[in-house]
Amino acid sequence: MKRKYLALLLALVMGLSVLSGCGSETASAEGNKDEKISYDNIMRLGEVTEVDTCDGQMTTEYYDIPFMIFDRLVEATSVAEGKSDIIPGLAKSWEISPDGMVYTFKLQEGVKFHNGKDFTAEDVKYTFERMLLPETGAKNQDFISPIKGSQAMMDGTAKELEGLEIVDDYTVKMTLEAPFGAFLASLATPGVGIYDKETTMEAGTDFGLVAEKTVGTGPYYFKSWVLNDEKIILKNENYWRGAPALDGISWKTVADADTMRMMFESGELDVFDCDYAPTQIGYFMSNEKYKDNTVVGNRVGIYYYTFNQNIEPFGDVRVRKALQMAIDRQSILDNLFDGRGEVLSGIMPPGLVGYNPNLPEIKYDLEAAKALLAEAGYPDGFEMTITQSTDSPDTLSRNEMVQAQLAKIGVKVTIEQVDEATWYAVRADGLLPMYTTSWSADFNDPDNFLYTFFAPGNTNKRSFNFKNEELSNRVVAARAITDNDARMAEYQALEKAIIQDEAAWIPLFCKQHIFITSDRLKGFKVSWNGWTSTWHYYEGLHIEN
Amino acid sequence: MAKYIIKRVLISIPVLIGVVFVIFFMLNVVPGDPVTLMMGEHIKPDLIEAFRERMGLDDPFIVQFFNYLKNALQGDFGMSYKLKREVSDLIFQAFPQTVKLTLSAAMVAWLIGIPSGIIAAVKQNTLIDRGFMTFSLMGVSMPVFWAGLLMQYVFAYKLGWLPVTGYKTWQSFIMPSIVLGWSSAGTIARLTRSNLLEIMKNDFIRTARAKGLRETTVVVGHALKNAMLPVVTMMAIQVSSLLGGAVMTESIFGIPGLGRVAVSAIGDRDMPLLQGTIIFTTMLIIAGNLIADLMYSVLDPRIRCE
Repeated sequence: MKRKYLALLLALVMGLSVLSGCGSETASAEGNKDEKISYDNIMRLGEVTEVDTCDGQMTTEYYDIPFMIFDRLVEATSVAEGKSDIIPGLAKSWEISPDGMVYTFKLQEGVKFHNGKDFTAEDVKYTFERMLLPETGAKNQDFISPIKGSQAMMDGTAKELEGLEIVDDYTVKMTLEAPFGAFLASLATPGVGIYDKETTMEAGTDFGLVAEKTVGTGPYYFKSWVLNDEKIILKNENYWRGAPALDGISWKTVADADTMRMMFESGELDVFDCDYAPTQIGYFMSNEKYKDNTVVGNRVGIYYYTFNQNIEPFGDVRVRKALQMAIDRQSILDNLFDGRGEVLSGIMPPGLVGYNPNLPEIKYDLEAAKALLAEAGYPDGFEMTITQSTDSPDTLSRNEMVQAQLAKIGVKVTIEQVDEATWYAVRADGLLPMYTTSWSADFNDPDNFLYTFFAPGNTNKRSFNFKNEELSNRVVAARAITDNDARMAEYQALEKAIIQDEAAWIPLFCKQHIFITSDRLKGFKVSWNGWTSTWHYYEGLHIEN
Repeated sequence: MAKYIIKRVLISIPVLIGVVFVIFFMLNVVPGDPVTLMMGEHIKPDLIEAFRERMGLDDPFIVQFFNYLKNALQGDFGMSYKLKREVSDLIFQAFPQTVKLTLSAAMVAWLIGIPSGIIAAVKQNTLIDRGFMTFSLMGVSMPVFWAGLLMQYVFAYKLGWLPVTGYKTWQSFIMPSIVLGWSSAGTIARLTRSNLLEIMKNDFIRTARAKGLRETTVVVGHALKNAMLPVVTMMAIQVSSLLGGAVMTESIFGIPGLGRVAVSAIGDRDMPLLQGTIIFTTMLIIAGNLIADLMYSVLDPRIRCE
C-alpha cells in the first residue's frame, strides 16, 4: 500500500515540476518580449507563414518589416492610382552625369539610427559592400550589381567596391559599369535598405533575426519577434520625416487562412488580405458590414504562361500565336479571381512606368487559332505538358482551366506536378515545359520585366529559350539608353515585338490586391508596386478607437 | 527497481538510434533539394555548391548520418536551413507551449474521461450510458482540425466568449485543450467503463455490498481503485498521442509550439529542424512509455519488474 502512495506521490511531483518548470520559462520569455504593449493604436496584421529573416539583403520574398524599419537612398511612392514616382529618401538629392555613368548622392544630414548613432556615407558604403561580399550570402545583389567593381566583389577577388566613393560624410559617388536607366528605381527596392555599419557588424548573423540587433533609420523600430507567433514594430519618435501616427504594427503568424478570417471578423486583426482567401472576396464585398471597408489597389504584376521554344512544336511562331488566341483569359480571371483584375496583352502591367495602354489586344479566337495550327501542320492538335509544383492548388486550378480550353483546338494537355525544388532546378536548366506563374515589379521600370525574362541567359534560365537574338540584344542595349523617353519607347517596341509578333509568352491578366479593414482603421492604402502590402508610412493612416 | 529502470533506459538507446536512422534516411530520400529552395532563385550556382560543402551535404549518406548522430548526442541538432537559428534553441523555445497544451489537454481528458466512464458503468445500458459513450465516441472520431474550426466559429466568432487564437492567457487555452483532450477523453472513458464493469463482477464487490456499504463507497472506494490501474497507464501513453495531436491543434489555434515548428519545417523542407523536432518528440514518447511501464509495475505488485 505504501509503495502505491509513494508512486502516486512521485508521479504527482514529476507532473508538477514539469508544469512549474514550463510556467516560469514562459513567463520570463513573454515578460521581456512584450512588457504590456497596448494594441490600442497598433495596426494588427496577419500572415500565413513565418518568415526567415527581416534582413532585406537576405530575402527575396519578405519585405514587410525591412520596408518599415530601414530607409533607402530613394523611395518609390504612389502619386496617383497606378502611378509612382522616385522621391528622395536618405539621399536628399542626386546628380547624374550626362553619359549616365556617374550618380552623385547628397545624403540627409542629422538622420539617426534607432540606437542613436548618426547616419553617414560610411553606412552606405558598408551596406552595399555587405550585400556583395560572398560570405554574406545575400540574395539581392542584382539591384546594385550595375555599380563598377560589383562582379569582382561577388567573385571574392575584391574586398571593396571600386565604383563607390565617399566624397565626404554626406556625399557618395557611384560609378556604373555601363549606363543603366533603371538604376535609381532599383535603389528604391526594399532589399537595398541602409544599415548601421557598427551595429550590423556587431550583430553578425543575428542581424535580421534578433529584433533589438536589427537597427535602421526607418519610421518604425523592431520591437520583438516571437517565432511562429508575432512580430511587432513600434514607431520611431525621432523619425526624420516625422513620427508615424500609429504606435506600431504587429504581424501575427496564423497558419490557417480560415482561422485568420475568423480572427479578423472577431476584431483580433485590423486587416484581412484577400490574397489568403480569394474565394472569400465575394462574401466580403457583398456583406453590408464590410463593403465600405474594402480597399482595392492595383498590383503591378502579371500572370502568364511560358513557351519553351526548345520543345516542339513551340519553335513555330504560328503554334505559339494559336495558343495565345485559344486561351480565354477573361474567363480564367472571372472564375478564379472573381473578375477582379484586367486582361493584358503584353508584359508590362498597368502602374509600371512605360505601360502601354494602346497595345493591340490579343483576341480570344478559336477559329483563327485552329487555322493557324492547321497551317503549322497540326490540324488535329498535338500533345503537350504543363508543369507545376505540387503544393499549389491555385496553379492547378489555372492549369486545369487552360487544359480544358486548349482541348477545344485539339491540344491535349498533361499536367505534370513535381516538387518545388525540382521545378526550380529543371527550370534553371532551361528544360521546364510550359508553366504558369506571376511576376510582380521589384522596382518600377520595364527593365525589371523585359530583362528578367528575355535578356540572353535569363531567357534560358527561365525556360523560355527565346530564339530571336537581335531582340534579346536590344533588351540589353535598352538599359544604356540615357534619354528616358527614348528608353520607354524602345521598351514598348520590344514588348510589341517579343510578346505579340514573336508570341514568346502568353499574357493573362493583372490582379487587384484587395484588403478588408476593421472599422477602427482609417486611411489604409494599397502601396504602389509589386509589394502592395508592405508600405505603411503615409499621411492619413491612423486608428480611431 | 533501479536495475529495471537502468535496463529500460539502456534498451531505449538502440530504439532511439534506430528512429534517428529511419528519420534521417527517409528525409534524405524524399525528392527536392533543400538548398535550392533555401537559397532562392536569384542565387548563383557556385554559391549553392559552396553552401553544400560547408554543410557537409556532399558527403556520402552514411558519413552524414554518423556526423549527425555524433553532434546530436552532444545536443547539437544543427542549424535550421530556413530560420538560420540553432535547432535546439528553436525546440526549447517552442517546447513550453506544447507542454502547456499537452498537459491541459490531458487534464481535460482525465476530468471528462474518468467521471463519464464511471457514470456510464454505474448506469450501464441506460440512456445516460449511451449518451456518455456517444459523446466520447464523437471525441475519438472527430478530426482535431475540424472540431477546432467548429469551436472557433461558435465560441469565438459567433458568441465572442473566447479569443480565436493565442496562448498568452488561460482563456486562449480553453478551446485547444478541449479539442485536443476530447479525443483522449473518449478512450479513457471507454477504458474506465469496461474495467469498472469487469471489476464490479468480482467477489469482493459483492462482499462490500453485503457489508452494507453505500453504493458510492463500493464503486469509488473499492471498484474504481482496482479498475484504474490500466487507465493510469493508458493516461501516460496517451500523453504521446496528445503530442501528435498538438501538431494540428497548434496550427489552428496559433500556438507557437513544437507542432508548428514541425509543420513549417515540412513545408520548407527544413531537414535539420524537422529531424530535430521528430527526434525530440520521439525521446518524449519513449520517456512517456517508460514512465507508464514503471507506474504499472509499481501500482500493481503482481507485475514483476523483471
